Amino acid sequence: MAKADEPVETILIVDDEEPVRRTFQEWLEGAGLGCQVLAAPDAERALDLANRAAIDLAVLDWHLGAGDDGLQLLQDLYAFHPNVIAIMVTGYANQATPLDAMRMGVRDYLDKNHDLSRETFLQAVKKQLALIRPAKRARSLQQSLLAFRQAVEKILPLVQSAAALNDPVPLPDAIRGLMRFLIQVTEAKDGVLLVRHYDSTKTPAETIRVYDSGGKNLEVTLLPFARSVAGTVISLQQAAVSNDLQKATWAFDLQPFEKGRRCVLAAHLPVASGLQAVLELFDKPDGFTPNDQLLASAAAELGADLLRQALGRKQTEQLLIDSVSAALAASEHVSQSLGGAVERPLEQPPPEQVLDQLRQGLRAAAGDDAHADLSLRMAEAIRVLARRHGRPALEHCLTLIDNVGRLLDKATGN
Amino acid sequence: MPDVFDEIFALLDPERLLRDPRATGEGVRLAVLDSGVERAVLEEKFRQSGQSILPVEGGIFIADRAEPLPYEGKQSTPHGTTVADIILTLAPRVQLFSADIFGPQGSCEVDIVIKALHWAIDVWHCKVINLSLGVTEQRLQQLPKRQQFLRAVEDGYYKDVLIFAAAHNDHPLTRSYPALFSPPLISVDKKLFADPLQFAYELCDQVEFQAHGRGYLGPFAQEPATSWAAPHLAGIAARLLSLRPQLKPFEMKAILYWLFQAQKKQ
Repeated sequence: MAKADEPVETILIVDDEEPVRRTFQEWLEGAGLGCQVLAAPDAERALDLANRAAIDLAVLDWHLGAGDDGLQLLQDLYAFHPNVIAIMVTGYANQATPLDAMRMGVRDYLDKNHDLSRETFLQAVKKQLALIRPAKRARSLQQSLLAFRQAVEKILPLVQSAAALNDPVPLPDAIRGLMRFLIQVTEAKDGVLLVRHYDSTKTPAETIRVYDSGGKNLEVTLLPFARSVAGTVISLQQAAVSNDLQKATWAFDLQPFEKGRRCVLAAHLPVASGLQAVLELFDKPDGFTPNDQLLASAAAELGADLLRQALGRKQTEQLLIDSVSAALAASEHVSQSLGGAVERPLEQPPPEQVLDQLRQGLRAAAGDDAHADLSLRMAEAIRVLARRHGRPALEHCLTLIDNVGRLLDKATGN
Repeated sequence: MPDVFDEIFALLDPERLLRDPRATGEGVRLAVLDSGVERAVLEEKFRQSGQSILPVEGGIFIADRAEPLPYEGKQSTPHGTTVADIILTLAPRVQLFSADIFGPQGSCEVDIVIKALHWAIDVWHCKVINLSLGVTEQRLQQLPKRQQFLRAVEDGYYKDVLIFAAAHNDHPLTRSYPALFSPPLISVDKKLFADPLQFAYELCDQVEFQAHGRGYLGPFAQEPATSWAAPHLAGIAARLLSLRPQLKPFEMKAILYWLFQAQKKQ
């Protein structure tokens, strides 16, 4: 019995004899299998029902009358529902072609003339439902996993590639305002904020970003922090001034944005271990004063608080991304435990250049653009079908094309 | 009426003692617990000034290792080189050991300072240790950690090691350790003196001495800072130790105090 929250299986009975159809339907509905039962007298009605409902199990008469046969119908049903399982009911079981039938999804035979009773019929149906239900649950789970993965895979790269996450710490707007304020009140010509991140597990271990007073990331080649002005101020534990920067040589190098500067006021913003930020203001006309240092120290404390908050937010976001990545990995693991990789979405169409080449080739052969386009569309449709349903779909396509070919040949007398 | 102490003090001649030609730091092993030392820079600087210095040795101390990583003559930031340069300027013949306690991470925890202190005392057998750094009281709230830090400093004291610790630049507004563990060590605040061999005893909220607060090398060497004051007094102590190597910390503190009193009278 299916559980309340699980999809109900649908059984389709196709038999041209109304009493047989009704009997089968009564047996199934009376057995309390928890399935939806549909019935059709012929292939056309059966396909119509299949178009509207997902068929899990088909109980098909081998001879449907009017030239139709159950195996042919099963092939057509398979196009609608590739996982459909069939029980074939025949008065001529010895004439059946088991190999073809089994290949097409026929899992059992019932002989109208010998062993067909309520018990044998229900036993056969229950046996198939016992196989269908776990497989259906697994497929349902796979589909959910696929939907989940598709959703996550779509979002994850976008989030991961967001500039803010690549920064050691995202720069809050308030920091920009703070820098502009400090430049204004100290009468500095301009300033930068250096953010240095060190992680020995990464390559390179050290990353330094420099932002101008507008918060724009300066694309410059930076020297190692170990020989920088910023490095010195961190160990000094106070805002520091050099009013003769170009003369203070030895043991350090000037970064590109420091070259040619006359004076600098630098303050350390202690954010976190392995993450340092240094504010540098340049070229106050009369040199920086002790008051400027006090202002810079106060601003550095405020700036450090802002950056710590931003870092906290970033760490939360990172935690979320890590959790989603872990869920993605877990879904792959679950999928593999269920017996195979999650079905991948359909491939993208071939690149436009490849299609162009094919189109040109077909055009040359057919001498007609519309003809070439149609041929391409048909090839693409078959490719998608093959991708979606595998080799049986291709074989079915070939059969259909052969049939159409014969039909047209007959109609046109060729 | 002068007493016997007045007679002893009268004999003290700071000029003679501090400028003795043998007061070069020779034979003194001195550790700089800081951000590493750029060895080649100092060798080149002193070579250009016609002085030779002994090769700087050292190690890089990191959190998850008991032993330091090998020192390859590099600084983690220029701060340590500025400190070492001050010491070598005053006592060019000291045997300098660089304990890089910041490392590439650029930050330093108390545990690493303690580890480096023990290493400098017990493995490098240094007589003088300079600490131009401090942990603010705010960041050292844990009493066991503070006690552990104090024990490490006391360990140096009982092993006759002189530890010079810089006060916070905002002292006494901001209190920091180990400078405030002042009895077993020599705590140093900044002041500007005409002569880098000058210093002062000016007790202020547990910090006892003041030394010259300007350095000679690096972008902010001219910025008055306790970071530059501590190595000045450590350098002066190294000069005195090259004349009398076995001086104990309390003897050194007394001598420095007497020298300051004598300087005042001059």
